[in-house]
Amino acid sequence: MHWMIYAAVAIVLWGVNGLFMKLGTNRVSARSMVIWVTAGFVVLLPWMWRLTGLAGLSTRVILVGLIAGAVNGLGNWAVFACLEKGAKASVAIPLTALYPLCTVALATAFLKERPTALQWIGIALAVAAGAMLSYEPEPATAPKEQLSCVR
Amino acid sequence: MQTDNKRFPDWLWYALLCIFWWGLWGFLSKIGSVAASPLQMQILFTLGMLPVAGGMLLHMRGKLDRDRVGISYGLLSGIATGLGTLGYFAALREQDASVVTPLTGVFPILTVALAFVVLRERLNKVQMGGMLLALASIVILST
Repeated sequence: MHWMIYAAVAIVLWGVNGLFMKLGTNRVSARSMVIWVTAGFVVLLPWMWRLTGLAGLSTRVILVGLIAGAVNGLGNWAVFACLEKGAKASVAIPLTALYPLCTVALATAFLKERPTALQWIGIALAVAAGAMLSYEPEPATAPKEQLSCVR
Repeated sequence: MQTDNKRFPDWLWYALLCIFWWGLWGFLSKIGSVAASPLQMQILFTLGMLPVAGGMLLHMRGKLDRDRVGISYGLLSGIATGLGTLGYFAALREQDASVVTPLTGVFPILTVALAFVVLRERLNKVQMGGMLLALASIVILST
């Protein structure tokens, strides 16, 4: 299957997640929501474990996967710390949505990825779009509610 | 806490730290996805996230909200995100992280659209502009 179809699955499901986050944070705090979302990940574990195991994976790959999960969680923690240190959500949330810039920098530097000129244009548009779509003006409290547990 | 009088306020450090952590997540996801299947990556991702979530829970000192409807949305949110992440890892197996991660980062386009349709929230002009840019980026990056 074309990679774009897989990416579309991520966009659709993460987009739906954003709606659940909005609805959920009407009832519980955003911090509590992160915990319950993580519980949702755990709900999937037995199903995933039945379909596959970790046999055959090198220690290095296992470590990379575990650290990937940990740094994603640390990103969630940093958003809360940022807002608690007095950041305006209307500034902080779109700002943190610029995270793909960091991935692009790391991937081009260390994985020798070389996007074409056209792809660079697409990347720039996508990053700008991610930040702009995350913008909700003050004093609405909604931007805090857009926090997602992933990305 | 008012720290905005500093040239480089504390909150900005945390925002940059967040960008770094999430950016590193995309980078590590690519490295892992080359060798592990999306399901294996999601298992490892979940296990790796648990200690951090546990730390957050401890830090909250028992202030975990237990509204039943809220919990249901949280669990649904986790399931949707987890399944979506399988798509992300699958895309990373076949395409560069520098292309996939910015592209999947436009996911709020659907949140904004759903909030407009389901919750009757209004779209602001910045978001409308973001939608146009997102659609343009999808078209460009899919070619």
